[in-house]
Amino acid sequence: MRRTPAPLPVLLRFSPAAARQDGWGRLVSLTSGGAELSTAVRLVVGETLFLSFELAGDRFEAVLARVAHAEDDADGHRLAELRFTDEAERRRLAKALTDLLAR
Amino acid sequence: MAAIGLLAAETGDREELAALLGELGHSVDGSGRLAEALEFARERRPRAFVVVDGGGADAETLTRELSRVFPLLPIVAALKTRDATRAVALMRAGAVEVVAPPWTREDLRACVSKGLRSPGTALSPVRLAPRRRSPVWYALAVGAFLAAAIGAASLKRVRANAAALAARVDSWTLPVSHPAGLAFDGTDVWVVDWFSQSLYQESRVDPRVLTVRHLTAETPVAAAFAQDAVWTVSADGTIVRRMRDSKLTPLQRYAKAAPNCAGLAFDGLYLWTLDEHARTLSKRLLDADLTVVSKSRVPGLSPNALVWDGSALWTLDSGDRVLRRHDLADPSRIVAVLSLPEYADGFYVPKGLAWDGERFWTVAERRDGSGPARLTRHRDEGSAR
Repeated sequence: MRRTPAPLPVLLRFSPAAARQDGWGRLVSLTSGGAELSTAVRLVVGETLFLSFELAGDRFEAVLARVAHAEDDADGHRLAELRFTDEAERRRLAKALTDLLAR
Repeated sequence: MAAIGLLAAETGDREELAALLGELGHSVDGSGRLAEALEFARERRPRAFVVVDGGGADAETLTRELSRVFPLLPIVAALKTRDATRAVALMRAGAVEVVAPPWTREDLRACVSKGLRSPGTALSPVRLAPRRRSPVWYALAVGAFLAAAIGAASLKRVRANAAALAARVDSWTLPVSHPAGLAFDGTDVWVVDWFSQSLYQESRVDPRVLTVRHLTAETPVAAAFAQDAVWTVSADGTIVRRMRDSKLTPLQRYAKAAPNCAGLAFDGLYLWTLDEHARTLSKRLLDADLTVVSKSRVPGLSPNALVWDGSALWTLDSGDRVLRRHDLADPSRIVAVLSLPEYADGFYVPKGLAWDGERFWTVAERRDGSGPARLTRHRDEGSAR
């Protein structure tokens, strides 16, 4: 496991049916299977969203994720546990993380 | 009081943010231009900077410049217009947090607080264990652990009990003193007593005698139960085939067919007899003369009982105090030996052997001939057989 110097910013988008504004947040942790996200957006367990972020030069656009757990932290932000549901994106993310951590 | 730098092109924004940050307990110094902000940062060493995006100021450029000069200074960007893409761009430029409009004290407090302690993102190629679980998950986990622990303990106890049961040896004192053989009829064991010329049906759970069969015309020394008959042999070597009725009615006699016979076994096809003087095993056809088809030498000091356990022949050696398993193809060859530690003290001499489907039984008389005989159910040999 390695930690980036600064938290990775992430753009949050929702399906049109959700009728929600785009949001932003930062990743507390990132793995090939999911992520922990800190955000001011009020996420609830079970909802799906699309994440866009950049990892060591690789752009990940609209990665589909599902909220597995969400709670308010001490600062009033939302701390959410996300699961990536797209297998292809998971594999691509695993490769990017492996390459990055192997450097 | 924590010093917070504030960089906003418009005076109104500076006043509004300064008021909000002041309410949060921060000492704020507002700047309208980058040069003033840098000067403030050099002099006061603020803990963080709030940079307003919009109103003629490009927070992305300002953030990059501030980060370049003060790389460890947390910068919080404040948007005048809500734009998620812009917010992400500002964070990529170096802002640790971005406050969306309308600015509120709560949002500012959360963002500044986060900005002051913002560790990087933890990266791992595999999924880390989640840090948060619901109480139900923990309850289930604890329940599963307890169930597994109880299950393992129960299994261990069952195994220990089974091992103790298998190692258990039971002995009973008999109302006879001169046993010569032992047999199992599928339910109970039968003790052959030559002195009283009788067969005693013994309970397998206590020393109770269930029935007694007197064979007044002969002196029985061994017996074997088959599916539809009982075979007995007397001291003079006469073998008798009997009905399995209450009187053990004789069906056929084979006069002096097996002299010195000490053991008798029926394997379902052949009748086997053990000559204790010659130490030979005879395999006999069930014809009119009980014709011997083969004879094999039996090793050991004093073989004196014989039993068929459903798959192999065993002899009891009272001299060596062991059981020997014979190779059916060549009975002179021994394939297994089981010791009988119950006779190690030498007070009793085993005389008869039986197999109840699970364990061996032996009957023994006292060496000095005075006193009651003893019936013993031996330990479960399991795979040793």
